[in-house]
Amino acid sequence: MAGEVSFNRDIRPIFLKNCTACHGGVKEAGGISFIYRERALREGESGKNAIVPGKPESSEMMRRIRSTDPDEMMPQPKHGTPLKPADIKLVETWISEGAKWEEHWAFMPPIEKKIPALKNESWTTQALDRFVLHSIEQNKLTPSPQASPAEWLRRVSFDLTGLPPTIDQLKELEAAWNADGKAAREKVVDHLLASPAYGERWATVWLDLARYADTFGFEKDPHRDIWPWKDWVIRSLNADMPYDQFTIEQMAGDLLPNATADQILATAFHRNTQTNTEGGTDDEEYRVAAVIDRISTVWTTWQATTFGCVQCHSHPYDPIAHEEFYEFMDFFNQSEDSDLKNEYPKIKLVGDEWVKLHRETRALREALDAEGRKISDTPWKILENISFAPQHGTMRMDQDGMIFSEGNLRSGTTHKISGHLPKIDALKISIYPQSDNPKNWPEIGAFVTLFHIDKISTDGKRTPVPMGEVIADHLSGSTDPMSAFAQKGIGARFQRFKDPTGRDGATSGLGEFPRIAGPRKFVILPENQITLQPGEFIEISLKQGANANESQTAYVRKFKIEVTEDARYTALRSNPKRIETWQKVFDNLDRMLALKGTEVPVMADRPAAGKRETRLFARGNRLTKEQVVKADVPDLLRGNFPKKEEANRLDMARWMVSTQNPLTARVMVNRLWGEMFGIGIVETMEDFGTSGTLPSNLALLDHLALRFQGEHKWSIKKALREITLSSTYLQTSKATPALLERDPKNQLLARGPRNRLSAEMVRDQALATSGLLSKKMYGQPVYPPQPAGVWNSVYSGANWNESKGEDKYRRGLYTYVKRTSGFPGFLTFDAPSRDVCSARRIVSNTPLQALVTMNDPAHIEAAAALAEKMRQHSGEIDAQISFAYLTVTQHQAGPHIIKELVALYQDLKKETPEAKGSMGPDPALTLTANTILNLDAALTK
Amino acid sequence: MNRLEQEIRLTELSHLTRRHFLSKCTTGLGAMWASTMLGNQLYGASQKLVKDPSNPLAPSMPLLPGKAKRVIYLHMAGAPSQLELFDYKPELEKLNGQDCPKEFLEGKQFAFIQGVPKMLGSQFTFKQHGQSGAWISDRLPHLSTMADDMCFIKSMHTDQFNHGPAQLLVHTGTQNLGAPSIGSWATYGLGSENQNLPGFIVLTSGGKNPDAGKSVWGSGYLPSVYQGVQCRSEGEPVLYLKNPDGVSRDMRRRSIDALDRINQKIAEETGDPETVTRIAQYEMAYRMQMHATDAFDLKQENEATHAMYGTQPGKESFANNCLLARRLAERGVRYIQLFDWGWDSHGTGKDTDLKIGFTDLCNRIDKPITALLQDLKRRGMLEDTLVVWGGEFGRTPMRENRGGGEMSFVGRDHNPGGFTIWMAGGGVKAGTSYGETDPIGYEAIKDKVSVHDLHATMLHLLGFDHEKLSFPFQGVGQRLTNITKPGTKVVKGVIA
Repeated sequence: MAGEVSFNRDIRPIFLKNCTACHGGVKEAGGISFIYRERALREGESGKNAIVPGKPESSEMMRRIRSTDPDEMMPQPKHGTPLKPADIKLVETWISEGAKWEEHWAFMPPIEKKIPALKNESWTTQALDRFVLHSIEQNKLTPSPQASPAEWLRRVSFDLTGLPPTIDQLKELEAAWNADGKAAREKVVDHLLASPAYGERWATVWLDLARYADTFGFEKDPHRDIWPWKDWVIRSLNADMPYDQFTIEQMAGDLLPNATADQILATAFHRNTQTNTEGGTDDEEYRVAAVIDRISTVWTTWQATTFGCVQCHSHPYDPIAHEEFYEFMDFFNQSEDSDLKNEYPKIKLVGDEWVKLHRETRALREALDAEGRKISDTPWKILENISFAPQHGTMRMDQDGMIFSEGNLRSGTTHKISGHLPKIDALKISIYPQSDNPKNWPEIGAFVTLFHIDKISTDGKRTPVPMGEVIADHLSGSTDPMSAFAQKGIGARFQRFKDPTGRDGATSGLGEFPRIAGPRKFVILPENQITLQPGEFIEISLKQGANANESQTAYVRKFKIEVTEDARYTALRSNPKRIETWQKVFDNLDRMLALKGTEVPVMADRPAAGKRETRLFARGNRLTKEQVVKADVPDLLRGNFPKKEEANRLDMARWMVSTQNPLTARVMVNRLWGEMFGIGIVETMEDFGTSGTLPSNLALLDHLALRFQGEHKWSIKKALREITLSSTYLQTSKATPALLERDPKNQLLARGPRNRLSAEMVRDQALATSGLLSKKMYGQPVYPPQPAGVWNSVYSGANWNESKGEDKYRRGLYTYVKRTSGFPGFLTFDAPSRDVCSARRIVSNTPLQALVTMNDPAHIEAAAALAEKMRQHSGEIDAQISFAYLTVTQHQAGPHIIKELVALYQDLKKETPEAKGSMGPDPALTLTANTILNLDAALTK
Repeated sequence: MNRLEQEIRLTELSHLTRRHFLSKCTTGLGAMWASTMLGNQLYGASQKLVKDPSNPLAPSMPLLPGKAKRVIYLHMAGAPSQLELFDYKPELEKLNGQDCPKEFLEGKQFAFIQGVPKMLGSQFTFKQHGQSGAWISDRLPHLSTMADDMCFIKSMHTDQFNHGPAQLLVHTGTQNLGAPSIGSWATYGLGSENQNLPGFIVLTSGGKNPDAGKSVWGSGYLPSVYQGVQCRSEGEPVLYLKNPDGVSRDMRRRSIDALDRINQKIAEETGDPETVTRIAQYEMAYRMQMHATDAFDLKQENEATHAMYGTQPGKESFANNCLLARRLAERGVRYIQLFDWGWDSHGTGKDTDLKIGFTDLCNRIDKPITALLQDLKRRGMLEDTLVVWGGEFGRTPMRENRGGGEMSFVGRDHNPGGFTIWMAGGGVKAGTSYGETDPIGYEAIKDKVSVHDLHATMLHLLGFDHEKLSFPFQGVGQRLTNITKPGTKVVKGVIA
């Protein structure tokens, strides 16, 4: 028996079934875990070693699994049943052979397996066919015969474009099929791959993964303009953007050097997370929820690894440690977005112009701050005779000059602070979180929405002090601190510093909003030096008008105000070069505001000085934070990822598409395969880990993956071309009862695929075959007819305003996606709600689907249009029916089908001989067409 | 009516025949579906839930004996105030108008309350009712007469204090999107007793969806056949149920006959078992057209019934939905979920004022719920129908001070720490009150019941061990009682 036991095949399944629930990633009972070899081999709490390689007789594990003593036996009786004798024997052999550990297949690099000579070598067309045939022959099966041109054409048209072929396309293929079938098929495939419909069909797959929707989600579920990203996906797929680039741009396009507007737009992938605008919801809670959703989505989409569970504890089955979740989280934790209604940060789409201006302005602005921060040794002082006048609540100052503001502070509360210094060149406001312990950060925001100074002369006369500029410790969030100055003239200019995409007055100001994650410091320069005579004083007004969580005043609770006499500041303020730079900033902002374009939420990281500290959450609870962690990838898949101080999303994206990553290519080719064959080579397309299903043909998967990242240079079209032109794909789907019994899911691939159309395809086919389909691409989502009353969110005035003209007949992927209320016809056909990443639509078969295709007015309209085409085609009912059947299914209707449908028409005609409403001039013919569109042959590909 | 009844009988007969045909044709298929869907998990060594793919909603036996065969869940979206209905707190009256003591505020997060709010006593008078002596306020005079049939849980608590997440938690066991709702679990576990209607039906007052959207009746990671079907008491009860204008029922029958015959031919040619399933689904759709129409036809009810419920056929009202709930329960629908809305009594306006809007809402539900309980009881259905009433959290004993000041109307903020739900029928202990909040009704302190405990209890009443009814997803046997929340227990004290 020596050398016959395989850890992956024989032993790991035994561990998973019987042991890891207690000795795994979540619990390590007795100090033993069967996830890592060293933890399985080490001395347990009992002082004994569970496994001693080579020595089953000394291995505690063997004694325990053989024991019948209820106190000793494993698994414990309350946790499971004893191991089968055969399994015990396997474990024993494995230990005696040295307890060799193997990594789970998916975490090891793909290998091109050599396939020996095959009996039926001539059957193969593509290299992949040899892998399939090898498995077919090993299972003592034979491939099925070739599909007919009609069967193959229907299949390949839907698979590549999501649309049925036309009768002309069918005729052309049939004419060329016998002479040179291969060439004829190549022509078809190349034509389909070049069709714009290709990008539309495959975009749908990506939109499910990206949880794309046209709304924020949650209670009010307001509208979100993010459709330009959907257009980006369609365009990129049609241009066959290599998958590595497709990945990098979506993951971190904003971090690419001199990123184009398109590259930044690509990152909107991550902004498809939900934003909770329900009053009173904790902005930080939902910011973190969005970050965590990004992590789960990335791991499901690119790595097919269940990473979400590592949020609370080490992975129960796979060797991924608890802290590694948070290290990975750090990549995404730096993004600026924070669950705000304004959805900052956004990009304005007007070619690259806005992006260039924005980048330039930001650099100028940061340079201005940096120059200001060079003055670092100024003697800051507390105002003499300082006094406080809070509008609400109380204020007090301690001996260090720290000011505390407490009590019921309504939104808009203005605090006044007065005091004296003969000459003031600059003021400094330092805003602190209440707690000194960083583990308690972030706290609710501390934000001054208006900052204003009056000079009060001895006679009580009040003169506003013109304000100059703010030198910030760093710039983050949607507002420039300069926007806190609201005086006329200069203030109005600064108001433009509000959210650079131009909105949200309530959050203009300085401080940190909606959360404060550490002390912030702002030096404020008046336009000119302030000079005060004895008896004169200044009065500083701090208005606090911003509401975090849409309900709680984000006021400054703990802060310092200091002043200085330091001519360097006034000199800096009046430096002509600096004034010129400011002017350039203002001009740029004017130009950016004047540009008209759709604003789309995208990724943008906080600046280095304003980085968020990422801490491990104890048991996944964000309110109990532990040590600080740094961005990193899990050791399990490290490959060549460098251990460096500051890794960012771009580093991570490049790691993901490096040839060292064993998962990315496999996961993608498995997805392409699953979309066409109805079942992935790994059935659990979302989970390649040890808890997922094993690949039905690992050699085939590896071959496809290696070709995808090698020869094809990540070209999705080339990968699809090879699959669709394979002998495997060319087989007929007809199944004999014996084959069906042997291989119900068609994993041995001894027949072609036969699957139900997707939700979008069902609709698109009805529109296409009836001639109603609009070819218009891209743009705003559309509102095809939907029953009244489906859209009824609370606190939302949004209405389903039915589209007019051709927008009524656009392809399914352009239909408006509202998260809390999906398009009923699609949900019924298993389309996901797009709340979270969906890697696989599990196909159901329900009576509600029948009701949609029989009665949905859109389907009736299509049937009426098809009936009209039938009438135009011929005056004879027989010819009309075979024409419709051919149009819809691409198959010639046999005599029995024609007879059945003619009889149907004639019976119906007796019932309703005349025109009627939506059923058109000949309701009987419309209902006959509707029947054809409901046939199994019409609903499958 | 006679003709309809006759047709129902005939289609049922043909249904039986077809089932026989299907069962002959699909041997091996059940195993296939079960293995796809269920993996090799997870019902203990001997217990296995096996589903017939051609009929995934076929009724199946629970794993344990359960008293409740169906559930009617009445959710008052917005979260009604326990302090104005069932949780009598004389101590709170005494504190009325005083500043809230600091210890009630420290470490608390509120949706809208800021700084130091004032305490607010109940706005209404309470009296004890029935043999059981249940405390109920004067807002529900009709329901008070049913006190001895009800079982109050006054020590409910949750960890979510915003509507959307809290509603998701109440209906799916997690505040995050993507998990199946209780109704999906119930129909997954038990199937449906009536194949001519959806097994899980949702009715909303005025057609308004709850804050959390349709995910609260979603099937999450369970197959989509188990998702709730939202039905309407106005217009078509089920979307796309009605044949197009000009297509009679006979014509539809004729068209499905043709469809069936051609599909059978296709099934023979391709050997595709899904085609066989599809034939069955079209038959089911045809029957559903009739049965759903019939079930939703409130005109069939007599004057006395309408008077009892306060129903007006053709309107989308909570009262109509209560009467529909009984009609659906009679027809063997497994899980009937009602949503009423407007219970978010913040006091920001008349509608959310505890005296004005709240009273209107009480009037809206008092008679219909009472009628539903009485009606079920009279028909002998209460014993195997579990009725649950509740919101997604409770309300604060403090008066809301939105924006930091006194508001012109009277309201309360969200309070996850304590709230009341009640159950009736379906094997719960009638005429009892379980658990307590503190003397001001702020936090559950005695016999605390979490949302997960409630779920475990509901599943228990339906005949399931909440730890056994699970489904493999993302590498774990997932279940309604959130696996990340250990310590969930069945509340024995409310079970008869």
